[in-house]
Amino acid sequence: MGAAKFLNYSTHRTKTPLIRKNGELIEATIDEAIEKAAKILVDANYPILYGWSNTCCEAQRVGVELAEEVGGVIDNTSTVCHGPSILGIQSAGISSATLGQIRHRADLIIYWASNPWDAHPRHPERYTMFSDGRFQKSTWTNYLSKLRGEMSKKKIQRASNLVLKRDFCFAPQVEDGLPYGVYQKRRRTIVVDVRKTRTADAADCFLQVEPGKDYELLQALRVLVNDGELDVDEVAGIPVETLEDLTDVMIGCKLGILFFGLGLTMTKGKHRNIDSAISLTRDLNNRTKFLIMPMRGHYNVTGADIVSTWQTGYPFAVDLSNGYPRYNPGETSAVDILCRDEADAMLVVASDPVAHFPRAASKNIAKHPLISIDPEVTPTTMLADVILPPAFAGIETEGTAYRMDQVPLPLKKVVEPPEGFLSDKEILQRILQKVRELKKRDIN
Amino acid sequence: MTELIIKNGFVYDPLNRIDGEKMDICIRDGKIVKTVKDSAKVVDASGMVVMPGGVDIHSHIAGGEVDTGRMLRPEDHVNDVEVKTALTRSGVGYSIPSTFTTGYRYSKMGYTTVMNPSTPPLQARHTHEELADTPMIDKGTYPLLGDWWISLEHIRDGLIEENAAHIAWMLKAARGYAIKIVNPGGLEAWGYGRNVHSLDDVVPNFGITPREIIRGLCKVNTMLNLPHTIHVHTNNLGQPGNYVTALETMKCVEDLARKDRPVLHITHIQFCAFKGADWRSLSSGAEDIAHYMNNHNHVTVDVGQVVFSDTTTMTADGPFQFGLYHLTGNKWVNHDVETETSGGIVPFRYKRSSAVHATQWSIALEIMLLIKDPWKVLMTTDHPNAGPFFYYPKIMTWYISKAARDKLLSKTNKRAIKKSLLPTIDRELSLYELAIVTRAGQAKALGLKDKGHLGVGADADIAIYNINPELADPSKKFVAARKAFERAAYTIKGGEIVVKDGEIVKQVFGKTYWVDVECARDHCRTTRARANADIKKKFKDYWTVEYENYPIREGFLHSSAPVAVKAEI
Amino acid sequence: MVITLIPKRVFKFPIEGKNISPDVFVEKSAKEIAALEMWEGNRKRSLGELFDIKNDSSASEEFTIKIEGDVSKVRNIGFRMSMGQVIVDGDAGMHLGEEMSGGAITVSGNAGSWAGSQMKGGTIEIKGNAGNYIGAAYRGSTKGMNGGKVIIHGNAGHEVGCYMRKGLIKILGNVGIFAGIHMNNGTIFVQGTSQGRAGAQMTNGKIVLAGHSEDVMPSFTVDDIKAKVKVDGEKIEGPFYRFIGDLADKGKGKLFVSKPKNPYLSHYEKYLE
Repeated sequence: MGAAKFLNYSTHRTKTPLIRKNGELIEATIDEAIEKAAKILVDANYPILYGWSNTCCEAQRVGVELAEEVGGVIDNTSTVCHGPSILGIQSAGISSATLGQIRHRADLIIYWASNPWDAHPRHPERYTMFSDGRFQKSTWTNYLSKLRGEMSKKKIQRASNLVLKRDFCFAPQVEDGLPYGVYQKRRRTIVVDVRKTRTADAADCFLQVEPGKDYELLQALRVLVNDGELDVDEVAGIPVETLEDLTDVMIGCKLGILFFGLGLTMTKGKHRNIDSAISLTRDLNNRTKFLIMPMRGHYNVTGADIVSTWQTGYPFAVDLSNGYPRYNPGETSAVDILCRDEADAMLVVASDPVAHFPRAASKNIAKHPLISIDPEVTPTTMLADVILPPAFAGIETEGTAYRMDQVPLPLKKVVEPPEGFLSDKEILQRILQKVRELKKRDIN
Repeated sequence: MTELIIKNGFVYDPLNRIDGEKMDICIRDGKIVKTVKDSAKVVDASGMVVMPGGVDIHSHIAGGEVDTGRMLRPEDHVNDVEVKTALTRSGVGYSIPSTFTTGYRYSKMGYTTVMNPSTPPLQARHTHEELADTPMIDKGTYPLLGDWWISLEHIRDGLIEENAAHIAWMLKAARGYAIKIVNPGGLEAWGYGRNVHSLDDVVPNFGITPREIIRGLCKVNTMLNLPHTIHVHTNNLGQPGNYVTALETMKCVEDLARKDRPVLHITHIQFCAFKGADWRSLSSGAEDIAHYMNNHNHVTVDVGQVVFSDTTTMTADGPFQFGLYHLTGNKWVNHDVETETSGGIVPFRYKRSSAVHATQWSIALEIMLLIKDPWKVLMTTDHPNAGPFFYYPKIMTWYISKAARDKLLSKTNKRAIKKSLLPTIDRELSLYELAIVTRAGQAKALGLKDKGHLGVGADADIAIYNINPELADPSKKFVAARKAFERAAYTIKGGEIVVKDGEIVKQVFGKTYWVDVECARDHCRTTRARANADIKKKFKDYWTVEYENYPIREGFLHSSAPVAVKAEI
Repeated sequence: MVITLIPKRVFKFPIEGKNISPDVFVEKSAKEIAALEMWEGNRKRSLGELFDIKNDSSASEEFTIKIEGDVSKVRNIGFRMSMGQVIVDGDAGMHLGEEMSGGAITVSGNAGSWAGSQMKGGTIEIKGNAGNYIGAAYRGSTKGMNGGKVIIHGNAGHEVGCYMRKGLIKILGNVGIFAGIHMNNGTIFVQGTSQGRAGAQMTNGKIVLAGHSEDVMPSFTVDDIKAKVKVDGEKIEGPFYRFIGDLADKGKGKLFVSKPKNPYLSHYEKYLE
């Protein structure tokens, strides 16, 4: 994934700034484009400045300043992704750590509604199942044994079909409850998901949860962790005996970690799913050491939240239209503002909301002036009135980004950007300067 | 060549033994000088108190822990907002203000230097980014090194010199100012949910004790010739009966004392001055602590003064913070940092009506007033742990006015009043002593030679307060004094007037101080090179980031101000 | 005294209406009222720029502000009011009556989300539908509604009564999910249907679901069957299953769910023998 980002990054890039005139996007100078962008923002009564997750912190900092100067709303991709996790944290707190703690100490890993095999392929190798830590070794060999076992089964099956012309009857798995693997004294992995993913294949145990019932399952587990009893026989399609076994495994570990993905943040319950998951791990801390962490996607969305929080006090959906920061997702979040058609201009940085927002929101983006700072052609840039192609952050410019566990990392410049390409940060600084000039002119 | 002259003020400059003398202060190019030309801009300080700008040795204002606290508590911000002005950025308070607001609010009180007291080295970059967006003040940060695996291993193996070389590397990599130690050994134990409970408990997986960690790092500190001492948050923080641990911590480095300066700083000592077996029988250990401090010269402390307010606790003491969650039921954040340290955040409200909180409030005041030498005891609230920093002016009035503190005491819980020593304490700090505990003493303890005083060569960081000691006795007119401290008549930073009548008139950005440990002789260069190679080799096994990505480039700091020291190793 | 406000035009941008409150208007002259600060998006406006204002000092009722027209974009109407009346003849925007401590608000149409958020007293009556987070706490806070009454004749959305501590929310229509989430005390009554998860994470309080509920949380335990339950002095005919929960949060809240409207819950009866 990483290599793909680096190689060929430049094959489809936009070559010059563009401005829409008479319906057509035509080439413009950087100064013309900046002037037009600044004018759009100064004229706007309620602009949204959105995106931010695919650029570095230095640019994000200017972004907040610009949003404040034009009296707009600054929001980042958390709003459609892990925003609910933040809301959950604001309600319940969070017991977490940097990824190295997991590598060194975790002997129970739970991936809940998250499939790192496909979405975060380095994750199991660097931090969990296949990593080596000071106190916990890799389970690579166990995984290989498991694979070998499965391959042998497949071979026997094939031979049976060829020779005996029927399926082979394997001895029934005498497993009541959870698979034997989860009780072993080594790093163990459990996957909880609505369907069997590739991560589940590699794990020691897979629990299939009924779609939309994660919240019930989490609350039920909390009752069991607190030594309570349930009136029901099964929750979310899983028998209560299995849940009791799972509770024992969780309580019996030395250090457990629950990683969760969009399957929890974006399904029924949203931030309350996270609230409950966090509360579960908090309750587990009364019995053993337990941590929880969101599996974040866009490479610097954590940075966008962090920068916004230190400058405004709030991580995303920050409304600066009244001269001071206000925060209320559902009211001040980009998707909701667009659905209500309250915005009259939009600046998008390193993001593609036209493709990713719900239709009710994205159709309203097209109705108003749109500025896009993006190196590539996307559905968003195709609707834009001004396009400012930047140098690629993290390849052609240096900067800072934050890992999903909040560890800050320097991004290195690997190649020089082509002539005339400014960084996101420089483009934003120029727009900010122009905005200030225009505002001064308006007053005089 | 910008020249400024502050005329006619009552100057309090304890480091130069000036006690309310009416004199002029001359400034040129950001420094205090002997004389200036007649064309210099005049600041008329007649009838006003002139002090060095405030220095805060311990205030959580930037970094991962602080930002997580900010993000955790939108409800802390919603009713305390700062509107954008032509000169200033917008922002929010209350107990965890946004960075611009932090800088402005400190400046309005006449503060010019603030030290962020803890940073996990792995996340130091974050701290420096936030400090870069904190205007008006000079700053620095202390990397957390008391549970660093590499330190623990060296101490276990008796390799103090090796450790010193590694710590020199680390201080530069993290651009840190001092060695911060929090619940030594306890944070490593917390990696698996455990803790240590005494200086002689064995730290799991490492086989050493907190006593050995403190002594080891104390020796390292001396070897490296660092400007500040080790900065220690003791074991057993917040536990009834823990004054014993505080005393033991002070005693455990008695034999390492140096003649000319202290070797240990215990921070927010109020939280470690509890006597009693449990919360019901909680009482003050201030007398015992003060008695020790009055008879020994190798320790400095800052108080951690409680104020009755809603606030947020945040420390690197993971197990302590988990304990607070149990005490309060409030939302709890925990953040363990691989190889290095931990941390936790829990909102907290101190109430006058609570016997425990009122006793804590009294303990901090008793410590300040019972320790005779003001150079040993400094004012802090461990912001925001014991209270938000903008309560400093109020606290200052409790120091200078018995009437002010007795007035509040009478409104607190009755059981606490009965136990409190305050009714028996008549002492009122003079303005001279106040200047020591809020600026001169802080700068001296930090070893910041150009701060905290108004002598020639000092940085021109000055606070002018509208208090006329000839006309009104501040110990009687303490409400007026508080208002004067809240809204400085002038704050001058680096020779520029940045605050006038409590309002920001110019936005400036300060410097970041960090220690650059240079080698005093050749053989230490080899030790250093060996340490660098050792860290590089171990890196992959210890951390989950690349070695190249860990150290912070000097250029990354907004305005780097290295403090060069020559070390023996 | 009745002051009538009529929007001068259709509002597109969010209007910040914190000053539309009897406490703010009372004792002010017509000129002063017209000069009150409001925001339209990021533009500062005066009330007089946005509304036509009519004064009727002859009316003898208590101090009343009447709003005629669509004010669905106007937020914070009735903010922190402690007395008087606000009558909205149309739709009202978000945060209606936020932090109010007294007086009465009536809306003939619909209201937005966060109506009655953090209110301490007084009444809000909405004839139409309301949004989410009725009577809720602010993000991150555990201090929701602490007194007063909210009556919604139509439907309400999700997380009604979030972190509620006292008072009454009555919904004659249907509710979404998480009614009474994190409730600490107070009463919620729902006449219509509930989309489920009522009382999740509650520690105390009373929720009465008189209609069909999609589910009952597995972390609730059945306690009794009650023939009637009292809500706001009135006896509501049951029978109701009474559940205690949320056990995950050591809760002692009472969740009453209509027995006839929820036959799928009959399996709980085996625990009541």
